[in-house]
Amino acid sequence: MRIASNQYHATMNTALQTANSGLTQVMQQLASGKRVQVPSDDTIATVRLARLAREESALGQYRNNIGALQARLRNSEAILGSMEQDLGMARDLLVWAADGSNTPEDLQAMSASLATLRDSLFHVANSKNAEGRFIFSGTATLSDTVVFNAAAAVGGRYSAGPGVNDEQQQVSVGTDITVAGNVSLETFYDYLNKLDQVVADLSAGTRIGSAPLGDLDLALNGISAHVADLGRRQNILNTLDDSHASVSLSNQQASLDLGALDYSEAAVRLNGYTVAVQATQKAYAKVSTLSLFNVL
Amino acid sequence: MSLINNALSGAIAAQAALSTNSQNIANAMTPGYTRQGVLLNSVLSGARGQGSAGAGVQVSGLLRFADGYKSQQMWQAASNLGHYSAAQPYLNQLEQVMADDTANINQGMDAFFAALNAASVEPDSVPLRSQVLTTAESLARRFNSMQQLLSTQTRAVNEQQSAAAKQINGYAADIALLNKQIAAGRATGINVSGLQDAREQRIDALSSLVGLQVVEQPDGSASVSMKNGQPLVIGSEAGSVDINTATGVMMLQFAGSSFEVKEAELAGQLGGLREFMRSVVAPMQTQLRDLADGLVTAVNNQLAAGQDMAGNPGAALFAPVGADGRVSINSALKPQELAFAKTGGAAGNSENLGKLIALRDSVNVGGTKLGDVFTQLVGKLGVQSQQNIAGQKTAQTVRDQSEENWKSTSGVNSDEEAISLMQYKQMYEANMKVVAVANQLFDSLLAMA
Repeated sequence: MRIASNQYHATMNTALQTANSGLTQVMQQLASGKRVQVPSDDTIATVRLARLAREESALGQYRNNIGALQARLRNSEAILGSMEQDLGMARDLLVWAADGSNTPEDLQAMSASLATLRDSLFHVANSKNAEGRFIFSGTATLSDTVVFNAAAAVGGRYSAGPGVNDEQQQVSVGTDITVAGNVSLETFYDYLNKLDQVVADLSAGTRIGSAPLGDLDLALNGISAHVADLGRRQNILNTLDDSHASVSLSNQQASLDLGALDYSEAAVRLNGYTVAVQATQKAYAKVSTLSLFNVL
Repeated sequence: MSLINNALSGAIAAQAALSTNSQNIANAMTPGYTRQGVLLNSVLSGARGQGSAGAGVQVSGLLRFADGYKSQQMWQAASNLGHYSAAQPYLNQLEQVMADDTANINQGMDAFFAALNAASVEPDSVPLRSQVLTTAESLARRFNSMQQLLSTQTRAVNEQQSAAAKQINGYAADIALLNKQIAAGRATGINVSGLQDAREQRIDALSSLVGLQVVEQPDGSASVSMKNGQPLVIGSEAGSVDINTATGVMMLQFAGSSFEVKEAELAGQLGGLREFMRSVVAPMQTQLRDLADGLVTAVNNQLAAGQDMAGNPGAALFAPVGADGRVSINSALKPQELAFAKTGGAAGNSENLGKLIALRDSVNVGGTKLGDVFTQLVGKLGVQSQQNIAGQKTAQTVRDQSEENWKSTSGVNSDEEAISLMQYKQMYEANMKVVAVANQLFDSLLAMA
């Protein structure tokens, strides 16, 4: 075939352009560490990477939720723990008060200590979080858990706040998995009324039987059951977090396999293009000196 | 005397050939230049009788080394290449933006649902609720910037089409004028090779814009028509095209009549741009709008089914999505007014929030899960771009091949020119030698006298 002289230049241009666009691609890949720069580089990998990224984002949020929820549960657990302590001290006092050898003065002294514990229990039951929401009011978090009315008759001075319920706030910790974030003390006012009655009786020097002790044990059992429940939920969260972590790890591994650049492969390619450019340039330099005019 | 006349005709012919050589060498690098050569004929002896060898040589014409079939191939390749390369920059931009983290709608949607998820930890927390509003706004912005990009591209494509239409009209007028000059030149026996080169280059540029059929006429003019045969240039008569930028419809006017040129008959850059608008931009605009609408409607409806912290019925978080696909949030909405509680529920109730979170996996847009729609769009765009890149590569190879093919006939080879330069130089010198011999013969004759 007859070759026109400027065909060499055109061929050279095309070869250089091809090699240069290959070089640019490799350089971009090396700079970013990503094998897939734009969707058209590998459409299937792009779609799979997008799905993995979305799953990762959801898992990340679930794990964040688990962390925040655990903090919340531990906080409730600590508060309920202090109530258990108060109730324990009240129990000691009630055991002592049930002893028939106490004088009325002794009983009055005990009444003062019990009154302090009653007030402490009342305040702790009305615990709020950092934003001023009541922790133990169920979903009625704007209402006091227990309301105190000084004007009412003893035995009815404490009542539940408006709307206080035992509803649970379900927290998303996995796809279609929720764990409750709260415990409710919606009936605790009941026991406070009973304790209030005991305080009033003792203060009046009236002897009490063993009935108050039974009431207290019931209340204490209720609180302990809540604490146990909080522990159980934290165990579930730990297990879930571990499982999220391993799914996340395998997702990240898959993302790397799909989208990360194999540096050694890229280095080989870079070398290939460089050699191609150099060879083309050398060949061009040789061919372009071949002219009959040079020897005429 | 015939000896000296023959030598003179030989020297003149050699000069003509050398002049053609010099023109070829001068234009060795000129794009689109068609090399020329001289056609030499020996002059018959005619009336001088049987004893005469002949009356020398004459240049009977200049040869133009052209192959119309190869030119046609080159133009067709230009149309094909124009078709693929016009759309590729737009596809590249779309790909880069859609793969970018800041514009990615998936990430915006994930962030929005993550904020809802985070709010479930403490559904009555104002900071967590504010986060839902913030991420909703950022999601709206992502939708809007995608729609903005698509409408910017639409505008750019329309402008490019109008510019191409103007260029087509310019080239058509040029070709018509060159046709006229070529026909006139041929009639008066002038060498029109340069004019033909100019016309072929115009046709080449024109065929990159739009698909053409070119037919050479006996008078040397070229008739140019669209792929379906509608005429653009006949002889010295040129038509013109006009593109309605709103509809993209192209009308061709010729000699007082007007025809519509359909997309299928366009090819070239215009065809590529039209196809890009129809198969990429328009569907993407619709699908993004549907996605936005699906999400906004589902979220608003779910909110309306619940009540806010104060016990009021849920207000909409987003404004309804308009025909342009733009999303905006209800800026008057306060964090406390997000309806996370069930109807009749207390302030800290989060039943409706749970249902909002579930929308991520339950809402379908056109049969696809909410979270998969954008991924599908990106995947589809990737495939379209991939196909276009492959098409462009093939078209480029075919074009390179056809150019090489054309050059193999019409391009200048300087070695070839060097050889003929030597040959014609020798021919000139030989003829001059003949003049010298004739002169010696004449001197000898005079010496005898």
